[in-house]
Formats: sequence, C-alpha cells, structure tokens
Amino acid sequence: MKLLVFLAFAFFSGFTISAGEYKCGSIECYEFSPNTKDKESLQRGLSAYMNYCYGCHSLKYSRYKRVAEDLSIPLDIYEQNLIFDDSKIGDLMHISLKESKAIELLGAKPPDLTLEARLRSPEWVYTYLDTFYEDSSRPYGVNNKVYVNVSMPHVLEDVQSELSEEEYDRYIADITNFLTYVSDPSAETRKQLGIYVILFLLIFTAFAYLVYREFKKDLK
Amino acid sequence: MTTDTRTKRFLSWIDFRFPLTEVFERHLSKYPAPTNLNIWYLFGFLLIVVLAMQIVTGLWLMMNYTNSAEEAFSSVEYIMRDVEYGWLIRYMHAAGASAFFALIYLHMFRGMMYGSYQKPRELIWLGGWFTYLILMAEGFTGYVLPWGQMSFWAAQVIISLFSSIPVVGEDLATWIRGDYLVSGITLSRLFAFHVVLLPILLIAIVFFHILALHEIGSNNPDGIDVKKHLDEDGVPLDTKPFFPYDISHDIFALGVFLIIFCSVVFFFPTGGGYIIEYVNYEPANPLSTPAHIVPSWYYTPFYAMLRAVDFPLFGLTAKFLGFATMMAAVAIFAVLPWLDRSPVKSIKYKGILSKTFLGIFVVSFFALCYLGMVPPTETKTLLSKIFTLGYFSYFLLMPIYTRIEKCKPVPERVAEA
Repeated sequence: MKLLVFLAFAFFSGFTISAGEYKCGSIECYEFSPNTKDKESLQRGLSAYMNYCYGCHSLKYSRYKRVAEDLSIPLDIYEQNLIFDDSKIGDLMHISLKESKAIELLGAKPPDLTLEARLRSPEWVYTYLDTFYEDSSRPYGVNNKVYVNVSMPHVLEDVQSELSEEEYDRYIADITNFLTYVSDPSAETRKQLGIYVILFLLIFTAFAYLVYREFKKDLK
Repeated sequence: MTTDTRTKRFLSWIDFRFPLTEVFERHLSKYPAPTNLNIWYLFGFLLIVVLAMQIVTGLWLMMNYTNSAEEAFSSVEYIMRDVEYGWLIRYMHAAGASAFFALIYLHMFRGMMYGSYQKPRELIWLGGWFTYLILMAEGFTGYVLPWGQMSFWAAQVIISLFSSIPVVGEDLATWIRGDYLVSGITLSRLFAFHVVLLPILLIAIVFFHILALHEIGSNNPDGIDVKKHLDEDGVPLDTKPFFPYDISHDIFALGVFLIIFCSVVFFFPTGGGYIIEYVNYEPANPLSTPAHIVPSWYYTPFYAMLRAVDFPLFGLTAKFLGFATMMAAVAIFAVLPWLDRSPVKSIKYKGILSKTFLGIFVVSFFALCYLGMVPPTETKTLLSKIFTLGYFSYFLLMPIYTRIEKCKPVPERVAEA
C-alpha cells in the first residue's frame, strides 16, 4: 500500500514540469528579487512613484499615513512633500485625474497599482519598466516588450537618458521594491511574527510529544 | 465544604436535570478507541479544529466585509490593510479552506483504505459524504466573495454549467444567479449561503456524523470488530479511553499540523497561487475574461473530468455529459458501502485486485488534479479521459472484484494482527 502511495506521488511530481510560457509577455522576465526591508530604497521608490507614476496611477487601497509610518517618514515631512492635493494624511491614495479625462488623453484608463506587484509579480514590474523601446507605429513612439502595444508612454524616458544603465536599474528596482511593499504592506510584520509563532509551536509540540510518549507507555 | 464536594454537588444538580456527565463520558473522556489506530485516524480531530477555526475567522471577517459588487473587493483590501490583524484573519481563513480540503481528502481516503464505510457504518460514511458536499459548496461560495477576476469568472463558469441541463437548464442558471449574468445579486446571495445556510448545515451534519460514530464506535486499520470481546464492564478489550490516551496524541498531532499550517499562513500565505490566486488581485471585470480560468486545486480533479468529456452522445451535449460526469464522480462516493461486497473491511486483508484498483484510483485522482490545473492540449485531454475511466473503474468494478478475489483471514483480536 505504501508503495502505491509513493508511486502516486512520484507520478504526480513528474507531471508538474510546466509548459514554456513567457510570464513577461514576449520575453522571459529579468531576474529580480524584491527587497522590502531596505527602507531607503522604499523611500526612493515612493518618491519616484509619486513624481512619475502617481499622476495617472492611484494607490487607492493604501493610505498615505500607513506608507509614511511603514517607511519611517515623519508625518509632517510627508504631508508637505508627498501629498499634492488637499487630501488628509489618513486618506486613501486616490488621484485627481478623472477617468474620462484619462481615456481622452491616453485611450485607456490607467489601472490602480496598489496590487500590481501581487497580480503580476515583482519581476514583471521590473522587466516592464526596463523594456520600453522606440516604435514609430505607436501613438507615443514607444512600445513595451512585456506589455505589448501598451497605451502608456515611456514616462521615465528623461530619467533613463540622464542616468547610466546601472543607475537606471537601481531606479526601477526602487520603484519595484516600493510597489512590492505597497501590494502587501503587512509582509514584514507577518514574517517577524511568524518566527515567534513557529518557535512557540515547536516548544508546544515538543511538550505535547513528551506527554504523548508518557501515556503511550501505559498501553504496552 | 471543600471545593471538590462543591463541584460534585453542582454536577449532580445538573445531572439530575441534564445528562451532562453521561454525555461527556460517552462522547469524550471515556469514548473507547481501538488500540491499533494509526496516523490515518488523526484527521477527523484536525478537521474539527479547522472547522472551529473557519467559523471564528469567518465571523471576524464578516464584521468588516461588505457584500456588494461595488464594495466587496475594496472591503477585502480594507481588512488586509486597515483592520488590526485583518491580514492574519484573512490568510488563516483562506489557507484554512485549503487545509480543510486536504484533511477531508485524507480522511476520506482512510475510510476507503480500511473499509470504514462498511456495515454498520454506512450512515457515518453518508454523513461524511454530505459534509464533503456542503464543504464544496462552502469553498465555491467563499471563493466568489473577494470579487476579484477569478471569483467572478469561476462563478460564471460554474453556474453556467447548470445551463447545460436539457430543457430547464437556462432558466435554472438564471434562477441560481438571480440575474442574466453573474452580478452583485449573485454575490450577495452566495454570501448569505456562505455565512448562514451552509455553516448551519455543516455543523448539523458534522454533529450527526460524530454522534453516529460514537454510537457504533471507530473502525480500525485491521477492520477487526472490537465489540466481540468485552471486559466485565462491557467495554471492548481492544480499546483505550479517549482521555488521556487519544487526546494526548491528538494534541501532539495538532502541534505538528499547526507548525505546517502557520508556516503557510505566515510565510507563504498565497501558497504560490494555489491558496489565493494572483489573478484575484484584480477586481472583477465582466468585460475582460482572464486567459486561463482554473478552479481551486481541490476541485481540479472534477474540472478535468468535465473537460475530458468533449463528445455529444444520445442527443445530449458534451457540456451536459461533462457536467453529469463531474457530478457523478462526487455522488458515487455515497453508494460506496453498497458497492463493496468484500467479507473483510481493511485493505490489509483484501486481495490483490482491491489493492490494484485502489492504487489506480489514487493515481487517477492525483493525475486529474494536475490535468485540471493546466490548459488542455490534445494529449492532456486524452490522458484526462483515461484517468476518468481509472477513477470510475475503482467504484463501478468494485462489486465484481471484491467478490472474486481471495481475502486473508481477519484476526479475532488486535494483538494477533
């Protein structure tokens, strides 16, 4: 019987070699592992996001205050520099661009990006930001390898032309780190708490085992 | 008066009016469990724990969830971000659903292996089967509630299956949805089912399942009837009282289970897309269909069967036949006690044919589970057909192979096994 179960598992695991689909549109995703512990990177990412992305892409499930606190930014500094309209610090991060206006300008509604890094994966976001290329057939003269025929212009064009390749990679890594953080803001707390929970359970289970072993002796 | 006698007097006051001590001893402290129970007998206890956890986390989720098409998605993100430990409650509930299914599959497999459905445990088995049905409905309705893309499209696909039923199908599907397509009306009725109707049924049936079990007593890995040999108090000799012997190993097992469960909740809460699908991080959009609609992993064996039947027959559409096959695959568990004609219960004493067919069933189940997850190709559909036949052959040929095979004699006492 055990052999049969083993065979079933072996069979099943042999099966799971997945088909070769590209996760990043027309290409393989670039290697990227997000770091949401690096607060400086998150702060730089936030500032880049607010300056280049937030005009069109809201973060409407997140609140300014939560971001400020998680990224260790004093609230008054945050309010003065990173809130552009009359929003309060406790508000959700909506944008002032109206949907109808966006469609008139760009032909499509720019999506909210709060959960983008979870929906697509951080690698996708990073690769997307790194693969704009010139294409005169498109309205803005640019196309993207990950999101083919995207309606978005290459908003980081100026940044990319001013920075070296290495600096630009760091720049988009910061944005990706920030988007990864904002897609799951409790991740770091969760992992820290998780260690204590598992440690407690290990001790609990060890004692539970000793009790079990003691009673088991009675039965022999 | 000492505290001890005070407690005794209080208990006898109660016992005079309600059989508290008797119920407690009968169902918990003195419940006689066979001495040869093994690791497969832990899952029932763990299922009760998971059920309790789902009820508690579900209650707390409900305090902050909004069941409207406009608000559902953002209320889930509100729970994840603004509610104190909301993320923990939600991840526990989501991972709890997967754990529930993993455990119930193991629990059912135990029953199939050791013939726990056989006389006189048919009603226990039926109660368990009904619990599984309700759980499937719970899983489906719960999956729709976050109102993401996969929620919406899974609901669309599943409910539209009913429209394949000849004559009444279209009207039936509209009646279930409450609308011509899945909408906010569908969402709020599935919510009502998920939090009121189905949990009440689930608790009632689990109660029945356990009551029936405690009346008849547990089966055991050798399928020995322990009630044949009783001590002078009428307690079976080959059993031990639940307290402290069973509870001590159940608590140990609970610790091991919680280590695994909490590792998932705290470190891999989305389970690589198997617990919370990534597509569900996009709000439901009736105008854009996801490229690849897949149900949760625990339904995929049946989904693979649905897709495997791709041919019309006797004037019935392929979609209806697929739907019927899928339903039959779940329903057939109910008649298992009457398909098995073997004189012995446990697989240990059954013949080579029973062992082979159970093996075929296990392989088919896992293979279909995988095939239901991946996009279909011609080869994969062919494989799905073969494994669907494998799955059903275990049940449909059982009256034959259990009768013709040669079984080993079952020992009288556990010590002889």
